[in-house]
Amino acid sequence: MLEVRGLTVRYGSADVLSNVDLTIGTGEVVTLLGSNGAGKTTLFCVLSGLVRPSAGTVTFMGEDLARMRAGRIVEHGIAQCPEGRKLFPQLSVEKNLMLGGYVHRRDRRAMKQSFESIIALFPALEAKLGAPAGSLSGGQQQMVAIGRALMARPKLLLLDEPSLGLAPLVLQQTLAAVAAINSTGTMVLLAEQNAYAALAIAHRGYVISDGRIVLEGTAAHLRQNDDVRRAFIGA
Amino acid sequence: MIFATGLICDSARGACGKGRPRVHFFFQELLNGLVLGSIYALVALGLALVYGTMGIPNFAHGHLYMFGAYAAFAAITVLHAPYWPAMILAVVCLAVLGAVVERVVFRPLRKAPEVNAIIAAIGLLFFLEAVARLIWGSDFRVLPTPYDKVVNLFGFIATQQQLIVIAAAFVLMGALFYFLKRTLLGSTIEAVAQSPAGASLVGIDADRVATLVFAISSGLAAAAATLIASISLIFPEMGFVVLLKAFAVIVLGGMGSIPGAIAGAFILAFAESFSAAYISTSYQDVVAFGLLVIILAIKPTGLFTRAT
Repeated sequence: MLEVRGLTVRYGSADVLSNVDLTIGTGEVVTLLGSNGAGKTTLFCVLSGLVRPSAGTVTFMGEDLARMRAGRIVEHGIAQCPEGRKLFPQLSVEKNLMLGGYVHRRDRRAMKQSFESIIALFPALEAKLGAPAGSLSGGQQQMVAIGRALMARPKLLLLDEPSLGLAPLVLQQTLAAVAAINSTGTMVLLAEQNAYAALAIAHRGYVISDGRIVLEGTAAHLRQNDDVRRAFIGA
Repeated sequence: MIFATGLICDSARGACGKGRPRVHFFFQELLNGLVLGSIYALVALGLALVYGTMGIPNFAHGHLYMFGAYAAFAAITVLHAPYWPAMILAVVCLAVLGAVVERVVFRPLRKAPEVNAIIAAIGLLFFLEAVARLIWGSDFRVLPTPYDKVVNLFGFIATQQQLIVIAAAFVLMGALFYFLKRTLLGSTIEAVAQSPAGASLVGIDADRVATLVFAISSGLAAAAATLIASISLIFPEMGFVVLLKAFAVIVLGGMGSIPGAIAGAFILAFAESFSAAYISTSYQDVVAFGLLVIILAIKPTGLFTRAT
């Protein structure tokens, strides 16, 4: 279980995140809704150990993450599929995936199993294993990015704006894959601007604005909320 | 020039003689170019690896090469080590020195403006030269080698050491290529070069990769220096000459490109070798750097786009 309490990130005199509380329970898909610059990516960077919080606590499975190095956090079971994917564009798809399992590199059998399960989840990648990741379509790159994160065998998968630049059909396939990943017991934190798509697979959600959590509730509750509908669904 | 070219070319040219057929003379120069290109390639590969991965133009690289030559010299003359163990000792010492340089000099400047790292590298260059002068003085020295016999290879004259330089350089280049392309640890270097943020997110420690890159880079420079020091000279300023050539090579090949560094090294070496043979040794740098200017005028990014 992930528990974030009173999280504040300050750059200079500006609070990018302010007193954020958030929890993710076992087996949950939780969505974080917010517009550009709301603080979603900063929160993800804190959870991945790339940004140090100015105040507050982040605990995952009972361990404090706030001062943990990025590599140790991946070992501890949190992997991120970042906004913009951040693939290794000139390396092959296969190498991108294998590097995703870097923290488990000594367990070759487990890496092979993870690799095979990812190919089973995204069969379209099988024919592209030797191709440079940067040469793939946006949808295929998203599959590689999610696959790379899954190679770390995460207990919690962080997905930052997976819908960005994807055609609606590809987005549906991606979200179906996320639901399939969650069905194996992996917790998912999904940051999205596309609330309609995110709430379709989430159990609960939070709305973040100007670095503060302004609303939280079940997916059904948020779908019915007028502010959410106006701001994110356009209804 | 004091660096390898003159000695290689002059000895080989003398042995070849003017009475030999032109085709033999051509192949003799090809051999000289291969020797010189092998050294340029090993030095430039290290420079390209550091620049391609971390964006640091390491101006101290030539002086790490110089230290490699002195380390081998000390191993042979003070410890009385045989040639190959001396080379291995020099490579290990320089790999450790490279790792220390990364940790102490460049890591604290990682988030500083690029010019800070450049100034630090120049400072390190003068520091290393002063230390070398303090320990070994300013005299010219030659690395003793057991491979000083002249061999006749299908009518071409070469010293055993020249053939060892070529063979060892190709083995080292092959080993580096295998490491980078076929091992997961080697792939982490390319991963950090292509996407530092992506690398962090999969748990690759960029600090460890930086240390590894500097260790490999300095180790390669030590190997190159040990190989050439038996047919060239060792002296505290030897790093300047090779640094200039290595930078020309990586600019020619495409900054940070590994295949580009290898191709650039042999293009520059052949240009020097053939211009020295067919025009004059006085013009070899003019021709080589003239060629560099022409190639860059046609393809400003260098021959290869960045591949690391």
